[in-house]
Amino acid sequence: MRVVVAEDLYLLRDGLVRLIEACGHQVVATATTGPQTLEALREWRPDVSVIDVRMPPTQSDEGLRAALAARREMPGLPILILSQHVQQLYARELLADGSGGVGYLLKESVFDADQFISALERVAAGGTAMDPVVIAKLLNSGPPDRKLQQLTEREHSVLSLMAEGLSNQAIGRRLFLSESAVGKYTTSMFGKLGITDDNDSNRRVLAVLTYLNEH
Amino acid sequence: MRQFGDWAGRVGVGFVRSCVVAVVAMLAPAVWAVGVAWALWWGPGNPWSWLGPFVLVCVGTLALSRRVCVMVRSLVAGWTGTLIPAGYREAGPVVRMSTGYWWNGFGYERTRRDAVMDQKWRIRWKDPATWRDLRFTGIVPFSAGLVACLPPAAMAAGVLGLGQSGLAARLAGVLALVVAVAAAPYAWRPIEPVAVRFLRPSPAMALADRVDELTAQRADMTVTQAAELRRIERDLHDGAQARLVSLGLSLATAERLMEADPEQTRALLRRARGDAATSITQLRELIQGISPPVLTERGLIDAVRLLAMDGPLDVTVNADTRLRLDPPIESAAYFAVAELLTNAAKHARASRARISLTAEDAAVVIEVEDDGRGGAVPRAGGGLEGLQRRLAVFDGTLEITSPPGGPTRVTMALPCE
Repeated sequence: MRVVVAEDLYLLRDGLVRLIEACGHQVVATATTGPQTLEALREWRPDVSVIDVRMPPTQSDEGLRAALAARREMPGLPILILSQHVQQLYARELLADGSGGVGYLLKESVFDADQFISALERVAAGGTAMDPVVIAKLLNSGPPDRKLQQLTEREHSVLSLMAEGLSNQAIGRRLFLSESAVGKYTTSMFGKLGITDDNDSNRRVLAVLTYLNEH
Repeated sequence: MRQFGDWAGRVGVGFVRSCVVAVVAMLAPAVWAVGVAWALWWGPGNPWSWLGPFVLVCVGTLALSRRVCVMVRSLVAGWTGTLIPAGYREAGPVVRMSTGYWWNGFGYERTRRDAVMDQKWRIRWKDPATWRDLRFTGIVPFSAGLVACLPPAAMAAGVLGLGQSGLAARLAGVLALVVAVAAAPYAWRPIEPVAVRFLRPSPAMALADRVDELTAQRADMTVTQAAELRRIERDLHDGAQARLVSLGLSLATAERLMEADPEQTRALLRRARGDAATSITQLRELIQGISPPVLTERGLIDAVRLLAMDGPLDVTVNADTRLRLDPPIESAAYFAVAELLTNAAKHARASRARISLTAEDAAVVIEVEDDGRGGAVPRAGGGLEGLQRRLAVFDGTLEITSPPGGPTRVTMALPCE
């Protein structure tokens, strides 16, 4: 995969590049400011990019804004946002277009290199990789929703893991269930949430997130 | 009959009040008159004859001025309800130093009595209120005092006139009585505007009060800041710092055991990773408490919107997008809204809240309203009072209406350019 890395802190940028290259991917460009990031994304149209939220020149949300602008120009451009903190506000903005290929993780997620690279690959393939904390906040924010309240506890945890971007197989492993059991839960869950079934698992995750995003 | 009774009452009360005003206003002129009489009695023969009367007038006026002002202030407050702030400077504490001497804020004295006396006179001398009182004592006899003298003087003239045998004198006496009765309900009234105009604190005194207020706020801020720094220090010391030490230890041990016991090395490395993750989480929580990242990255409106999303309440946010604030004010406003939302959920048991941020000419007005059970009152040392004090640092105000049963509405105004 061709990867763009945007991160203003040298130590982290260097570490990320080394980690990604050690896993057999190619870092085609690095950027240290918001405008540079947007430029690199336009020029390389990478298979996936890893972008920090806070970057120069303003030290505000430059990276996030560059990512959102790039996705407006190039819909579906896979982007993984890495940040020191996760906020549901940013998650909602990233997911708002509903076109997939989005990740939003804490920086410490690189501690587990295997999981980080698999998240990166998932995003590149058009799936999602969301931080569990942000998913929990999205699911619990605002007034208790009647539709969400209908879900059983098991269905709720399946929905959370699905929203993080895990496949049915991975959810089954996490919850000690068979893949077909997970499939049953998801079908009944979608029925309760009023989402028409679709075979593509990424589409379903996005449907869930879009549904949440409307609240 | 009843109307006549009311009128007679007004005349009676007015006459008594006029007399009281006349007496209070004429206290100082009475002393001056005694001084003048004394000087005339000694005559111009003695070259030092002016000295005694002069000292009498000066000391008498000085001694009377504050008393006269205090009396006028209480009379006006009692009769008309108009409160005029006195604005006298307060005496600081007199404390005994380790040397055995007494410190009164100006200098050292051997005994407590001396220190208190010294302090009293120094404050008296420096207090701008003293000079204002003297001015008032000079002005009042020739304005309100003179008017208030009319009913008693006319009454006296009337009584004298009626006592005479001539017809003209009697007629004049009746006329004087009529004047006295007609003027009585009104003659005491000028004391109010005169007192309001000349007895209120001068700009210098208002400035002195403001300095006191700011000094108190600064002391308050210093204490709060020191407490905050101590909290941060404790959090770092017990949290991230300890974790990092533990991480270093795990790594050092792992390095020694690498060849001898690969299994244990792996466990130690896993633990080191866990320590790193935990310290990052703790640092993140600490940073959130100091200055929420969203506030830095997005500003107040988005930070408040995120607060609304993260909390358990159903919150609507209406924000004026023209809103621009300095970072310190922004931070104070953010934490104030956060605290109010917490109060609404925790104490008022609300389920809904509405936040509005409006930019006005020279202020930002933030309103937080919830549908909880109400009854919130700022108590000394309580959360709302603390909030008021923190906003006061920026000359901000907090008003709260919270009838029992709700709803609670808090309005904060923060000045801005």
